[in-house]
Amino acid sequence: MNFVAKNKLLFFFISFVAVGVICQFALNSYIQALVVSFMINAIMALSLNFITGVANQFSLGQAGFMALGAYTSAVLTKVFLADQWYFIPLTALAGAVVATVAGYLVALPSFKLRGDYLAIVTMGFAEIVRVLFLNWNFVGGPRGYNGVVKWPEFLISYGFTGLALFLTFMVLYHLKISWFGRNLWALNEDEIAAEVMGTPIAKNKRFAFLFSAFFAGLGGALYGHHLGYFSPASFGFLMSVQILIFAVLGGLGSMSGSILAAGILTALPEILRSLPTGGLDIRMIVFPILLILLMILRPQGLLGRKELF
Amino acid sequence: MATKIKVEHLSIHYGNIKAVKGISFEFTRGQITTLIGANGAGKTSSLKCIAGLLPAKTGKIILDKDNVHIEITKMTPADRLRCKIALCPEGRGVFPNLTVLDNLMVGAYLNKDHKKILELVEQQYELFPKLAERRNQLAGTLSGGEQQMLAIGRALMSEPEFLMLDEPSLGLAPVIVEQIFDKFVLLKKQGLGLLVVEQNASLALEVSDYAYVLETGTMTLNGTGEALLKDSRVQEAYLS
Repeated sequence: MNFVAKNKLLFFFISFVAVGVICQFALNSYIQALVVSFMINAIMALSLNFITGVANQFSLGQAGFMALGAYTSAVLTKVFLADQWYFIPLTALAGAVVATVAGYLVALPSFKLRGDYLAIVTMGFAEIVRVLFLNWNFVGGPRGYNGVVKWPEFLISYGFTGLALFLTFMVLYHLKISWFGRNLWALNEDEIAAEVMGTPIAKNKRFAFLFSAFFAGLGGALYGHHLGYFSPASFGFLMSVQILIFAVLGGLGSMSGSILAAGILTALPEILRSLPTGGLDIRMIVFPILLILLMILRPQGLLGRKELF
Repeated sequence: MATKIKVEHLSIHYGNIKAVKGISFEFTRGQITTLIGANGAGKTSSLKCIAGLLPAKTGKIILDKDNVHIEITKMTPADRLRCKIALCPEGRGVFPNLTVLDNLMVGAYLNKDHKKILELVEQQYELFPKLAERRNQLAGTLSGGEQQMLAIGRALMSEPEFLMLDEPSLGLAPVIVEQIFDKFVLLKKQGLGLLVVEQNASLALEVSDYAYVLETGTMTLNGTGEALLKDSRVQEAYLS
């Protein structure tokens, strides 16, 4: 386990630019939008993987943090910043901070709970957030939030979302291999032993949860500005589960696995959608079968806990 | 002037179930003290309570440092570790997907001095040369005996003055158990106070300076290891 080497970073940067250029000049806007969706999904998967994969705290509330990030950033740009796209990076950060604050409030009482109870609390939290926005007319209520400012150009959107993904990955990956990550692994594997070694388990869990909430908020904000429209229904329980599927497919505890899985699971429904099946929506059949096969053949996920590099 | 830990009238309850009913005992630095007893006698609960994993219903746990009494009954596990009381939990509890070295490093969590930590790691490698060979291997791939050694080494990383061991012989081959008990004698000579919980009574009594017999939450007998080995009641119940 080491820091990501410089030559690898250079390689990633060059391929990132290359993909951007190819998408801009050779591919249509449908593919372009998919690429950005993939990066947002990857951010969400990473944020969940840190708390669930590394610290083994089962959270089902990522959609709640995502919603907080999306609404905060959208309201800030629309109401205070005159719909100028160049404020998006700032407001996205603000969205992430709001999600973190909410995460702290959830974490305070929750980490006295263990295992499945935490999943119930976080699920409840996400539901509260959703219902709150559902009943708040100022942000559109059930009609959703219309006219969120969008990125003007594909390349700008691609660049900023890519930067956010890069930051998310670097921060969470390096946390994973740091001494703090080692304590989280210890807590993951044997809570009692970790406690008698003197590691503050409740504090470590809270801290990991805050990071998770922060990046989920960031991902949510970017999601809003990418699509230009979202509604409370976008951030329902299914969204949390979808993020969980990304993390599980890639391998709980593998940061690069999350990105890989986000790529596969963003592309797969689109590929299946384009198959000529005579109006039959085959993707809703193939998709679950693939997941069942995965659970049978490779229950630890594609990469387990390893990293691609 | 010896440093010792005194447990006074300790009771531990799980809901309505009284696991430990007002027991008193003590253990001292430079000695091996043993708690023996059958399943469900309250041995593990007592250790967990001293380590801070279980709350005491009544009673006190007192750290007696040259007649300066520090009550630790309400302290967190981390604070007890700062008082130099370490626990090596039952069933070893190593972190299977961390390397041997990482396992040891987690044990030194409270120590912020990196140089000192590396020194401590070397000490554990010296005590258990097998661990040095396997330092970069995942702990889950070690044999049972090696895992037990790792668990002991990890507990020693906090430089304890008192080390509590919960069933260190559990599931190990007799020859390995003897090796490990030899290390206990060595550690004792270095001034560590060991409190060993064992079902393997004969071996435990042989090496221990003082021993207590627990039966369904109460203390029934105590005496030096030698005396208990010869005691007819102990022989009948635990050694035959």
